[in-house]
Amino acid sequence: MRLLLTGAAYQLRLLRRSPGDLIALATTPLLTVVFLAVVEHNGRPDLAVNAVLAPALIALWGMSLLIAGDMIDAERATGTFEVLVATPARLWPLFTGRVLVVTVVSLLGLVESWLVATVVFGVPLRVAHPGLFAVTLLATVLAMSGHAGVMTSLFVLSRSARIFQNSLSFPFYVLGGVLVPVALLPAFLRPVSTVVFLSWSADLLRDSLRPAAPDSPVLRVGMVLGLGAAGAALSWWLLSVVLRRARRTGSIALGG
Amino acid sequence: MTESPCIEIEGLTRTFSHRIFLARRPITGTIALDHVNLIVEYGEVHGLLGPNGAGKTTLCKILATILLPTAGTVTVCGSDVVTDPRAVRRRIGIVLGGDRGLYGRLTARQNLRHWGALYGLHGTALRSRIDELTERFGLTTRQHDRVETFSRGMKQRVHLARGLIADPELLLLDEPTDGLDPVAATEFRALVGQLRAEGRTILLTTHNMAEAEQVCDRVSFIDNGTILDADPATLSALVSRYERIDALGVTEPTRARVSTIAGVERVEDLPDGYVRFHATDRPAATAVLRALVDAEVTRIRNSEPSLEEIYLHLMGGQRGMRVD
Repeated sequence: MRLLLTGAAYQLRLLRRSPGDLIALATTPLLTVVFLAVVEHNGRPDLAVNAVLAPALIALWGMSLLIAGDMIDAERATGTFEVLVATPARLWPLFTGRVLVVTVVSLLGLVESWLVATVVFGVPLRVAHPGLFAVTLLATVLAMSGHAGVMTSLFVLSRSARIFQNSLSFPFYVLGGVLVPVALLPAFLRPVSTVVFLSWSADLLRDSLRPAAPDSPVLRVGMVLGLGAAGAALSWWLLSVVLRRARRTGSIALGG
Repeated sequence: MTESPCIEIEGLTRTFSHRIFLARRPITGTIALDHVNLIVEYGEVHGLLGPNGAGKTTLCKILATILLPTAGTVTVCGSDVVTDPRAVRRRIGIVLGGDRGLYGRLTARQNLRHWGALYGLHGTALRSRIDELTERFGLTTRQHDRVETFSRGMKQRVHLARGLIADPELLLLDEPTDGLDPVAATEFRALVGQLRAEGRTILLTTHNMAEAEQVCDRVSFIDNGTILDADPATLSALVSRYERIDALGVTEPTRARVSTIAGVERVEDLPDGYVRFHATDRPAATAVLRALVDAEVTRIRNSEPSLEEIYLHLMGGQRGMRVD
């Protein structure tokens, strides 16, 4: 726990020193404008919820993936990754603490898209099930942090994480039902989507904004947390395997 | 019962392989360390001297558990670097040369707080340790400045403070004065000298002979992954044994006559017009001087052999070494 807090404290200090890391939040209002304009033009106010949540979830995923990848690249660039490996600290909680901070900060994207909807488009948004909404957000943040760790572990093996970051974004936006609900995706994609926590989160968040009572909320929150825990366990295992491999191959200090 | 050494290396080999895409087996490439044996006792400041690419940093990284050995055993402070790396990490500090190993966007104090937390320090103990180290290394007035604004010399002080944050039994210094200006390098060596006086065990890698002589109790030469142990007495003997006499205005007959003196190893023309006679011992050097004076050569100077020459004599190799 202490290492998790150490990682979180370090990331907070870095964010204060380099606001450029929050660039994803600059695009969130623009995406909201685009999505809401399409919704309004087509006379589908029922899809406003999708248009508001999608940019926020994109910010959440994008920022988490960015920090997960850049973390290793940046540590290698400063030569601190080798020194980190040489400390007795377990790196998994340290990295997870860092991602957790960025994921929490990325929730500002939700505030932004909400403001764009109400102020610019005059769309009245009301959270019909605030408790479920809050719990789902919390579960999503935790699950996101667990999954980002998988990326961090894999990025240890890569000389440049940027290619993977860019390639991994859009498949997950689709499989995670970020804009288009999974139910509307081609049938062959749905089984894959069920193991992507973001698809459960996105559906649940949308349902919590609508007046109708959501189906099986506890089970669905459980799925988000369960998949998040599975991601966290996978990332913990992967990091130890990958670090041992990097120590064997001499690729701890790889870069460029 | 005698205490086991701080570092005990036996038959250490490290090779670096690379794998071609889709190939089933890796291709064995460089042999960085080749059956290295080394012992460093507690309280000793041990220098590891060698040219760039000799294997110094590889050895340092294996001791720091950043790299795994390919073969052989390495024990640090009683723990094996392969089977019990976490125990090793708790008892060592590492300082890398150049700009590696610090977060530039954080202040010196924030860096030390972060690294201290990674060694399990927190609260009052961490704060007082940071106070002690910033005071000791002259960082107090700049502890709240970002490290990226520091000079190389200041950064290296922060590096050293970071390496000592957990009060390690063994400090690994990998080319710590690399890139420092002479003043900063001298200051840094003075700090290492203080640590030596405290009886701390230090392994220092360098290609600077003067640095090794100044701060080390014992040195090892390393090149092509092979190591040769030596103590300062051996070095001193070599320095005094291999002498060089340079002379200006030496005629061909004199040169021919002097080069036949027993103990004259070779004769070399220097860019400044001097002719250098390499003598293998003191009597030979004396004979060379006498012959030159008899030949009425008046512009004579003598000098000690360079590290490269000592190194070649020690290793019997063909490869030279850069001497700063």
